[in-house]
Amino acid sequence: MAVIDVKHLSRFYQVHQKEPGLGGSIRSLFHRKYYDVKAVNDVSFEIGEGELVGFIGPNGAGKTTTLKTLSGLLYPTKGEVSVLGYTPWKRQPEFQKQFALVMGQKNQLWWDLPAIESFILNKEIYEVPKMQYEQTLEELSALLEVKDLLKIQVRKLSLGERMKMELIAALIHSPKVLFLDEPTIGLDVVAQKKMRDFIRSYNLKYKSTIILTSHYMDDVKELCKRIIIIDKGKKLFDGQLEEIVRKYADHKLLSVVLEKELDRRHVEGLTKLGGVKEYNYPKLILQVPRENSNKVASRLLQSYPVADLNIEESQLEDIIREVFTGKDVA
Amino acid sequence: MRKYLTVFQISWQNEFVYRLNFVLLRLRNVIRLLMTYFLWQGVFLTNQTVFGYNQSQITTYIFLVLAVQALVLSAPSSDNIGSEIGSGDLSNYLVKPLGYLKYWFTRDVASKLLNLLFAVFEVAILFFLFRPVITFPASPLAVIAFLVSAILAMILYYFLSVSARFVAFWTPENTWGLAFVIIVIMETLGGSIFPLDVLPQPVYQLLQLTPFPYLIYLPIAIFSEKIVGLELVWILLQSSLWVIIMYLLTKFIWKKGLVVYQASGR
Repeated sequence: MAVIDVKHLSRFYQVHQKEPGLGGSIRSLFHRKYYDVKAVNDVSFEIGEGELVGFIGPNGAGKTTTLKTLSGLLYPTKGEVSVLGYTPWKRQPEFQKQFALVMGQKNQLWWDLPAIESFILNKEIYEVPKMQYEQTLEELSALLEVKDLLKIQVRKLSLGERMKMELIAALIHSPKVLFLDEPTIGLDVVAQKKMRDFIRSYNLKYKSTIILTSHYMDDVKELCKRIIIIDKGKKLFDGQLEEIVRKYADHKLLSVVLEKELDRRHVEGLTKLGGVKEYNYPKLILQVPRENSNKVASRLLQSYPVADLNIEESQLEDIIREVFTGKDVA
Repeated sequence: MRKYLTVFQISWQNEFVYRLNFVLLRLRNVIRLLMTYFLWQGVFLTNQTVFGYNQSQITTYIFLVLAVQALVLSAPSSDNIGSEIGSGDLSNYLVKPLGYLKYWFTRDVASKLLNLLFAVFEVAILFFLFRPVITFPASPLAVIAFLVSAILAMILYYFLSVSARFVAFWTPENTWGLAFVIIVIMETLGGSIFPLDVLPQPVYQLLQLTPFPYLIYLPIAIFSEKIVGLELVWILLQSSLWVIIMYLLTKFIWKKGLVVYQASGR
């Protein structure tokens, strides 16, 4: 049975529009024009136990709204949702004890107290047995390397350290289902990588089911086998990451390091081989149709001063962009 | 139950972080008391009794207001609930097996107990400094009845202020103005500035139909033995009735509010 089962989920918001400026503000006091925003519009998917699924889409695509509905914060306008067999917005304690929602831009820690105090409070709220609490805290703080920061006021921690503490606070009751909304936002590259490593090992170790949203394609690429792409409230793609790469990346990139600068004849010849994406001596990147890549590569090796050559898949960012810009989506 | 005990503990810890804030808040209360005290002193320079109150009765009233206010009015819930709804921080509580109403009630009680400790201390100092003539009740029953009415008042105020804050579900942008108006109305109509029976009789009668006199004025009237016997029982019953009505209303608004809650912010 699927751990998360979403059928025809829709959530509409009513918002009012304000004309710009003070005049508009005054007018909006008396007369407001309301219209529906379809934040999520007829989205269905199923997620099995232990899956780590990436949820991607631009700002306002409906990712967060979906996660909020799955967490029971929002009532859906239409559709059915079941998480671990529960209806989230009934907010039964038995359900709440089994999942966690981490929002990269919201914190639950007590700002003026050391993080450990928030952990103790969560231990009581979730009724975690003492032994289990101590063991979990030990494991998590070791994995995230924050053992010596537990007794420091949260306000004194750096953003990266705080985010780790937020994760511990969210995981102290060992949730079976985890919703991570932009967990790496604002973090530096090193901290992002640490966070990713942690999420991966957590998923493997505890077999927890995880939905992850992120703007950083690296997060998705490294963590998720399966991705769901949504935009403007509609699901555009749901399947294996490899599949989307195969389907949409009809080009490969030939990345070449040259031995010496190309003469005119060579440069002219290049355009026949493929699109020049970048030429900045000694680096040359060619974009070629997938089926031609081997042929072009051997031509390059034969008649060009090549020091090194690599055949690479297109960047995931480029592929996703193509999906969004409305290439036919099956 | 244990989770709320931990909430209580962490609330105290948090209050201790804001030492300066806390001291200033207490200072504000003392200054307010002194202002009212000296104002009435001035009035009594030329009058023996005012609105049927003599100097000692008024002084008693003012000192009791400080103690009762600490128990009834001061409440962190009312400073936070509106903004938590508006900013979407409410989401943090909603995903947990935790009652939001119980959570804030616990935090209120924690803060009130702390404030009450200090209020008793302050009243003692001021009492020592000014040696005012204070009328104490003759019967211990009045003290017990006073305590019961004060606790009912505390619960009543909680539901009144919380249900007012829930307006933020529908207008997340402007809760502050409304909150301010409600506080001023509750404090004044509750009797924290003057005893309500100085008001013209029709106004006083009309106020009896609202929950406000049960907040401050009536508990103090019970302490001063103005209300005794059958009337006392009647007042305590009515106070309990208001608590039940406001509890049901608060629950009702909460349920309605959650349906429109937008969990804004990311």
